[in-house]
Amino acid sequence: MKKKHTPYPSQEGILSFLKVWIVLIVLTICTALIANSTLLYSSTVLLILILSVVKFLGVSFYFMELRKAHIFWKISVFMYALLFIVLVYVII
Amino acid sequence: MQTEQLNSKSIYYPPGGILMWIIIFLELFTFGMALIAMVINSKDEPEVFHNSRLLLNSTYGAINTVFLLTSGFFMAQSVKYLKLKEVEKSSLFLKLTMLGGLLFLVLKSIEYYGKIQGGLTLSYNTFFSFYWMLTLFHVIHVIVGLVVLAVNFIGLKKKKGETNLEDFEASAAFWHMCDLIWLLLFPIIYLIF
Repeated sequence: MKKKHTPYPSQEGILSFLKVWIVLIVLTICTALIANSTLLYSSTVLLILILSVVKFLGVSFYFMELRKAHIFWKISVFMYALLFIVLVYVII
Repeated sequence: MQTEQLNSKSIYYPPGGILMWIIIFLELFTFGMALIAMVINSKDEPEVFHNSRLLLNSTYGAINTVFLLTSGFFMAQSVKYLKLKEVEKSSLFLKLTMLGGLLFLVLKSIEYYGKIQGGLTLSYNTFFSFYWMLTLFHVIHVIVGLVVLAVNFIGLKKKKGETNLEDFEASAAFWHMCDLIWLLLFPIIYLIF
């Protein structure tokens, strides 16, 4: 199998990681606040799970650069995350 | 040093390599199934799980999440700079990545010490059996990840360079995997019961 090559990245990509990191930290703070809130138990669980999956996808698609990968890998990770929260939410 | 990039649009070359992604999925499924098993067990003893969860310090968990996310950010920066052939910057960010991992381990050790002192060991109840098995298994991954990163760091420091981009990306993918696993463990163990 012959390996194909792509051009080198720009400095722009480096700055975009900073934005993603800020979003992930804000989401972590939101998760902690929601966990200590007085919302209904089922709503709290659902919000915590959704925020966790968003962070999961943020790390995999941006830090691991999955957004540049073949769609097979993107769908696989997305389906895994979706299946995980659905199962947890249904069982709990 | 070889910094040529593969076309990650190919199904055979996801960032980090196909073998690393097979490992990542195996790990994610293993941890995922264990967490689902924990949730199923919680249905039999909801009060035990709720009271045990309250014995955990969720602030420690949140701070550890920040440590790992920040470490992951530095790792991504390190890979980017290596692609730009800026080895010095890549090396600096790799050091910061390892620092994040070490801080995670320090805080986890403090947490474990408190639990052991309080008698909340593996055999205390079902919740703590899951807590210890899952978090310790994750800690082992973090330690292995740190060793892998240290080997890469030594490779970057050598003049001729023994680290190529594919190996570096695979190591980075392993490190991010530790982050992904923690992002699943934290809400289930520390928050939802």
